[in-house]
Amino acid sequence: MTDLPRNQHIIASGLIAGVGVSIAYISFTQEPADAFVFPRLISSVFAVLALWTFGKAVLGKTKVGNGISGDAMKKMLPGLIVAIIYIYWAAKGLGFYTATAIAFFVLVSLYDPAPHTEFKTWLKRIAITAGFMAVMYGLFAGLLNVFTPREIFF
Amino acid sequence: MDFLFYMGDVFTPINFGLLLLGTIGGLILGATPGLSPTMAVALLIPFTFQLEPQQGLILLGAAYTSTVAGGAVSAILLKIPGAPANIATTLDGHTMATKGEGAKALQLSFLASAVGGLFGVFLLIFLTPVLAQWALAFGPSHLFWLAILGVTVIGTLDSSSVVKGLLSGCIGLWLATIGFDDIMGAQRFIFHPSVSGGINVIPALIGLFAIPQVITMFTKGRSSDDAEVISVKKHPIRLAFLEVFKRKAALTIGTLTGSIIGLIPGVGGQIAGLVAYDQSKKFSKESEKFGTGHSEGVIAAESANNAMVGPSLVPLLTLSIPGSPTAAVLLGGLLIHGIFPGPDLFMNYPQVAWTFIDSMLIGQILMCIFGLYIAGLAASVARIPHAVMAAIVLGLAVFGSYSVQNSMGDVYVMATLGLGMYFLERFGFSAAPLVLGLILGPIAEANFIQGSMIANATVGIGSYFFTGWLNWLLIVIVLASISYSVWMEVAQRRYTTKDDAVAKEEALS
Amino acid sequence: MKKWIAGAAIALAAMAGTAHADGHESYPERPIMMMVSYGAGGATDFQARIVTMTAGNEDALGMPIAIVNRPGAGGRVGWNWFATEAEADGYTLGAYNIPHFVAQSIEGGVEYSTESFEPIANWGADPAVFVVGADSEFNSMEDVVNYAKENPGGLTFSGAGLFVGHHIAALQLEKAAGVKLAYIPNNQGGAGAMRAVIAGEVLGGVNNLSDAFRAQEAGNVKILGVFDVARNEEFLPDVPTMMEQGYDIDNASVNFRGVMVPKGTPQPIIDKLAEIVPTMFENGRVQSRMAAGGSPMAIMTRDEVLEMWAARQETLEELLAGL
Repeated sequence: MTDLPRNQHIIASGLIAGVGVSIAYISFTQEPADAFVFPRLISSVFAVLALWTFGKAVLGKTKVGNGISGDAMKKMLPGLIVAIIYIYWAAKGLGFYTATAIAFFVLVSLYDPAPHTEFKTWLKRIAITAGFMAVMYGLFAGLLNVFTPREIFF
Repeated sequence: MDFLFYMGDVFTPINFGLLLLGTIGGLILGATPGLSPTMAVALLIPFTFQLEPQQGLILLGAAYTSTVAGGAVSAILLKIPGAPANIATTLDGHTMATKGEGAKALQLSFLASAVGGLFGVFLLIFLTPVLAQWALAFGPSHLFWLAILGVTVIGTLDSSSVVKGLLSGCIGLWLATIGFDDIMGAQRFIFHPSVSGGINVIPALIGLFAIPQVITMFTKGRSSDDAEVISVKKHPIRLAFLEVFKRKAALTIGTLTGSIIGLIPGVGGQIAGLVAYDQSKKFSKESEKFGTGHSEGVIAAESANNAMVGPSLVPLLTLSIPGSPTAAVLLGGLLIHGIFPGPDLFMNYPQVAWTFIDSMLIGQILMCIFGLYIAGLAASVARIPHAVMAAIVLGLAVFGSYSVQNSMGDVYVMATLGLGMYFLERFGFSAAPLVLGLILGPIAEANFIQGSMIANATVGIGSYFFTGWLNWLLIVIVLASISYSVWMEVAQRRYTTKDDAVAKEEALS
Repeated sequence: MKKWIAGAAIALAAMAGTAHADGHESYPERPIMMMVSYGAGGATDFQARIVTMTAGNEDALGMPIAIVNRPGAGGRVGWNWFATEAEADGYTLGAYNIPHFVAQSIEGGVEYSTESFEPIANWGADPAVFVVGADSEFNSMEDVVNYAKENPGGLTFSGAGLFVGHHIAALQLEKAAGVKLAYIPNNQGGAGAMRAVIAGEVLGGVNNLSDAFRAQEAGNVKILGVFDVARNEEFLPDVPTMMEQGYDIDNASVNFRGVMVPKGTPQPIIDKLAEIVPTMFENGRVQSRMAAGGSPMAIMTRDEVLEMWAARQETLEELLAGL
């Protein structure tokens, strides 16, 4: 267990160092050079700091950050999958209000500690979802006139 | 004392009604994630078409005042800063809310807002002619140094390691360069069509703060652990008053920093809260408590971002130059009634100008009263089970970031940044310096380029950026700020061991 | 309930393969959005909000128009979005600024040109003017040009950005007077450029007539010349044009503002908009608000705008070819 955060630190800071070095490379090779003066400056500092952090992580001298435990990973995964499908696909594919209602209901059901077997639990979950959607619709569609992507059901 | 003479006009039934409407509406709009004060005021402009000039401005002034303060509600309760002004409020405010002190945090924030706001408006009333010159004194070279000064606070802001703080800041500065560059129009780092318009600060803010928090709630799983249920502490308003006035240092630093920074065109509103937060942390005797739900953090941040409201209107009212986007929208509200702001505004339209300013004074007080009332109700937010809370925050984040410019791309940017930020946070990086980099990047870059263009045509870069007392003053402050950070890091390393840092993080989450 | 029925009707019509070709009589059925590619509070945004305020009236479109701002990089961000992502369904309008988007499309690096948009109507024409600080030693364009001749490349003057109207005006001035100038684009648009002039950071500036007029009224600047073919009789009858002062400069930099839709919008909808939108601009309340704000109006129909776009395309290609 003690080694897990260290390995994670190496991977994470390695990724950041990779990003830093590649944006530095892009900044110094892209044209027009005039527009890249500032990015060059930033990306150089970025790359140096990122490599330093990476070095510290490899040497095991990282002092802050506690990584992610396997248990936390397991618990967040279902929620994360729902959230990703909701944001990157459903919101546009199904329409904002439809997708939000479904995602909201699924998330509440996934993480609500109340037993799944009781009818009353489900009723409560539906009521909360309906209440939230009413507020969102009133605020964004009613009051603020926000144009959301078309809904598939209405 | 002209302003006292016109005070009566604020209390005619229609005007006072509009003032109430603007204040309450502003609090609601301000608390809506994604709706910055600028957008809120712009949304109200069409309503003022039907009104008398005086009435229209009362509505707009009240809305401006209370949207800035209203942003604290979502920042504290949901950890979604509605606008850059409220970033610093989340640092201690939300931590207080998670400890069940949401009511206290909100009360402190509204009281501090009112104190800062009143001070700012009084500056506007008494010192406008003097301040107008000050607002013009900042040219490209000064704004460049000011942005660099902002960058130097990055290392010490809400991060347990200076290197990681700086690295977070660099990530933010780099993110700011994505998209078309503002002056040349060249494309940079556009690796996905969603970012072709650059990264808009508000969706980025929402993602960076809200999404990691949603994921953290997921990691708690389906626990029905009783230890999770936070006891909501009632907090009498009387105690909040005492607390605000006991924290004189934070209140003074916040109010002064906010007023001074608010004057500087184009920079003010966005960073006033963060700079004030960082300054009062450096001056505080209890600086190690910042970030763990310390009342000084909330007081400094909120007094600063409301103190900036009054002074930010100085260049508009005297020189007819809008110093901030919100001031630009207010200018529109004046122009449709044929009122041109300028040095003789107070002579030609005293009734409009003074009533507008008076309504901002009264608006501050009304905002505080309503705010304190909301605080009583909103405290129970901590009692919402985390399953529901995660879903609410996620939904609000999506709607809020979409509504900024009706763009799906902004939602993707919000989610992607948020997802990345969750993992970064687990490895000791933090969102506040990253956002500060994102805000300061364009200011530093544009002013550097403009400055060097002027310098090349005239005196040369060296003497343009390094002569004049204001340049040197700023350079000295930059150097002082850097040395202070280095000294903090070397002399009193805040966390000598990993266990210390972990302990602090545990206390936080 | 109404919405449900309308939605069902639309769905049915869609399923029937759009029963008849001209299915747009009932347009518009829901509120319309108009994209402005500059920030809230800018001149374009402010005017767009005024000229669309009567859209909801029964004698106009009968549905309100809501303004959405997509600012960035001198308008490129908004227009790129409008050309590539906006839905061509008649519910997404955009505000155009000529010569800005034409100049940008000639310069390259963007995904739009005059071919990507269909104009509806023009509402305003804001000429560029040359301003100097109120205490400046320059009192005419001749003074300015003489200074520039003595200090080649040393006359600093501000404008709203590169490849916008102000920049075009600056290029025309350089060409007509045969001097080299130091044009300093500002990242905060016209307001930022004006501030630089008043604060004395630059020696002069090109700015919008409407903003310069206000700044002159406030006693902050002097206006030395108008980049247009005729004087502006309404606001600045005493300020001579560049032509009068001996510089051969036409109206290529005049900032025309109007409404457009993306290419591919159904023709019946374009026709309907082209018929109704100009009457919105002629509304008395709109006119009085625009006049009060110091914004010169120039109402043009779709055909006139098409002609104007083509003419600008030609002039600008010629002007920018020399760069």
